[in-house]
Amino acid sequence: MTLLSVEDLHTHFISRDLDNQIRVARALNGVSFTLEAGRILGLVGETGAGKSLTATSLMGLLRPPARVVGGRALFEGQDLLAMPEAQVNALRGRDISLVVQSPKSSLDPLTRIGDQLIRIHRAHRKVSEAAARDRAVEMLASLGIPDPARRMAAWPYELSGGMAQRVLIALALMNAPRLLIADEPTTGLDVTVQAQILDLLRDLVRRTGIGAMIITHDLGVVAHYCDEMAVMYAGAIVESGPVREVFGQPSHPYTANLIGATPERLRLGGPRTVGGPPPNLFRLPEGCAYRDRCPQAGPDCAQTPPDVALGAGHIARCHRVAA
Amino acid sequence: MSGLLARRIALVVPLLAVILLFTFLLVRLSGSDPVGLLAGPTATTEEIALVRASLALDQPIWVQFGVYFGKVLQGDLGQSWLSNRPVLAEILDRAPATIELMFWGVLIGAGLGIPAGLRAAFRPDGSFDQVTRFLSLLGFSVPTYWLGLIMLFVFFYLLGWAPPGMGRIDLFLTPPDRITGSYLIDGLLAADWEAAGSAFSQLVLPVLCVAIISAAPIIKQTRAIALEVLASDYIRYARAQGLPHGQIRAMALRNSATPVVTFIGTEITGLVGTTSLIEYVFAWGGLGQYGLSAIIAGDFAVVQGYVLVLALFSVLVFLAVDVFVMLTEPRAGAAP
Amino acid sequence: MSTTVAPTPRWALRIAGITRRSPTLAIGATILLVFALVAILAPWIAPFDPIQAQPRNVLAPPGGAHPFGTDGNGMDVLSRVIAGAGWAFGIAIPAVLVGLLAGVPLGLYTGYRGGWPDEIMMRGFDALRVFPSIILALAVVAAAGPSLLNVVLVIGFLDSPVFARVVRAEVIALRGSTFVESAVAAGNPTWRILFVHILPNAIQGAMAQTAVRAAWAVRISATLAFLGVGIQPPTPEWGAMIRQGAEYLVTGQWWVGVFPGIALILMVLGLNMLGDGMQDMLDPRRKAATR
Repeated sequence: MTLLSVEDLHTHFISRDLDNQIRVARALNGVSFTLEAGRILGLVGETGAGKSLTATSLMGLLRPPARVVGGRALFEGQDLLAMPEAQVNALRGRDISLVVQSPKSSLDPLTRIGDQLIRIHRAHRKVSEAAARDRAVEMLASLGIPDPARRMAAWPYELSGGMAQRVLIALALMNAPRLLIADEPTTGLDVTVQAQILDLLRDLVRRTGIGAMIITHDLGVVAHYCDEMAVMYAGAIVESGPVREVFGQPSHPYTANLIGATPERLRLGGPRTVGGPPPNLFRLPEGCAYRDRCPQAGPDCAQTPPDVALGAGHIARCHRVAA
Repeated sequence: MSGLLARRIALVVPLLAVILLFTFLLVRLSGSDPVGLLAGPTATTEEIALVRASLALDQPIWVQFGVYFGKVLQGDLGQSWLSNRPVLAEILDRAPATIELMFWGVLIGAGLGIPAGLRAAFRPDGSFDQVTRFLSLLGFSVPTYWLGLIMLFVFFYLLGWAPPGMGRIDLFLTPPDRITGSYLIDGLLAADWEAAGSAFSQLVLPVLCVAIISAAPIIKQTRAIALEVLASDYIRYARAQGLPHGQIRAMALRNSATPVVTFIGTEITGLVGTTSLIEYVFAWGGLGQYGLSAIIAGDFAVVQGYVLVLALFSVLVFLAVDVFVMLTEPRAGAAP
Repeated sequence: MSTTVAPTPRWALRIAGITRRSPTLAIGATILLVFALVAILAPWIAPFDPIQAQPRNVLAPPGGAHPFGTDGNGMDVLSRVIAGAGWAFGIAIPAVLVGLLAGVPLGLYTGYRGGWPDEIMMRGFDALRVFPSIILALAVVAAAGPSLLNVVLVIGFLDSPVFARVVRAEVIALRGSTFVESAVAAGNPTWRILFVHILPNAIQGAMAQTAVRAAWAVRISATLAFLGVGIQPPTPEWGAMIRQGAEYLVTGQWWVGVFPGIALILMVLGLNMLGDGMQDMLDPRRKAATR
């Protein structure tokens, strides 16, 4: 069975402005992708494309004014979006784990890290305190944290950024999840630490056969660590497929632009890429959302573009590819 | 940690100097000349000169400040211009009455305000939140003394449930022997049930007033603190970890505790003023009534001592809050 | 452009939008508007002269020609409550202006300059914080002499640290920004950078505080008058009227002190609600900007 299958996910931010007019920001406009166990999917795109929102939407972690307005997110065949909150909450942290990009502020400042590890384990599994403690020490050790038994007593503020990220990964793995979502796991860390953390994640997937989704704006991370990739633009996936295929033959003009614009280190420089400002989610153009910035845009781009299969699971959503 | 505390106390010393300078200037600003008052109407020129010299008023202003500074360090807050009695002794005599009133008032105010603020924060914009927000705004807007007057009007004049606002114990009862200075506690200790009962019934209305006035800012700030904690990364991440709601709530509570206590500590300063006004309305006979009466009468030796003691009290409370933070925050104990 | 259907005017939409976003602000603004109208129209809507004593009609209960009754001097309580609105605005507005005039330049300068002036100012403010504001205001007004001018000046100066702090924080945040640095590079004098370039961007936080500070000014001035340190009877000031009413409360003539108290509460409540709403409206935008 497919581990995770997201189908036509729509998320909107619905609010009123100062003139009492309802404003809808269409942040996700039909996101679809699948992830199999044992694979690593890289979700790339510029800031505001909806990468993190995809993760929070499917995990049921949205807060008003954001709301899922359509679509399904099947985790092992069960629709996460249709489940009662209590059931999703039981899955979170047990079968689906999240690693976020601000590890230091995401740890409870008043609880020693060992107690946090024990807490999440015992929240989801019926185990004794002692057994949970043993597993926590083991987990810290397996993540390359020196002197794990003593680290258990550390306070969050005592950790370096890299160390805190390892602790967060340990938290995520305490209950042996089947899906791991890492949202910009290495942003803000030193380059060497980044590599260590990502190596760790990749080895973990290879060893345990879980599925992982890495959200990043760094194409280098995708190229080096992922099996599949999905490129997001304006709340939709414009191109997806095996990393080798997409890099070998970038077919959507946006993907081509992304890869072409970062020849040196395959890296997106910050929030914007070449070719204009990010799209206005309050007023997305009809048809292809990229057509205002696209060098190849034509009149037909005002129509909704089709998903074109290019073989080997490689798909691009563009009129030009179809032609 | 003791080193940290020592540094914190060292910071207080220049603060005390500024406070003293301020209270000193307060009297200078008044421009009142106490010499006439102190020497009496029949004093001769020599006597007046003598009094003037004894107060160092014939010296340059910075010498006068030095003299004042030295006297305060020796625990001499001067004498009342009107009654000639030593200010410090009068203040110490009255302080327990004020502390009793403030203690119960703030305790009840916090006991109502903290749970209300938390409950409002857990459901922002819910009906409970709307009601408490309005009540808190109302509490901010009611004049303290007016609340006291209305309380007296309703519960003494109209309903007859409360005794008149004339002091801390029935006029015809003998106060119990002084042990703590609180008539209620001293009465209980001396097994003088009549005195304790009277002291209690006298306490109810003024304590209620202080509680109502102090609850307003506590509700508002507790709500704001809890909302901020609930929006924090660690609470969001706790939700992503699928922790049970009860545990997340407990985490939010523990992380709100220190800022809430810190806030109440800083709020004590303002509540001293509130308590003074309540004392004035209920003829409480504590420090606040003493100080306010002196302000009204223009007895600036007393005003000076009163303001100084209030400031010192605030400094002590701030220090106590610092110690509390050091004991509860893992980071504060270790940071340099 | 010809439109057949008249659209809802933009200002009406804006009011509806603000009301929806912050009902608190809308209610507060409405209350204040009513008080402002009452203060302006006082000579026409008050049934009697507020300081005209009628010795033969003392302590008349509410009703008839005197809806709020008369006080111990036989003055009409309703007329006095109406006249009190003018006194409340007359003290609060200049007091807040004094606070702004003293606090904003101080915050601008110390925030921009940093160093020892900043240090001294902040330590001074720390020292001020240990004094209860009500007691401090009372003591200083009593020391300086209870004139109207002194009341306004003392309240204003005690307010100024609030404005100075807010402005200082904004200036520190703006100090290193590109537009300030380019203004410096262009050779503008410091006063021009402070007042022309920085001030318009740093004043917002201080303005959001004005309503709450005005509420405080109304409260404090009434408290002063209640204690007999500020404005004296028979001036129709609410605090002074409550002082007069206090002695009658325990003998049952409640109307003398109750009506001015209610007026005082409503006005302070209106200002507090307005201030609360203003801070609310500014806050989410600020949060969104930092995220």
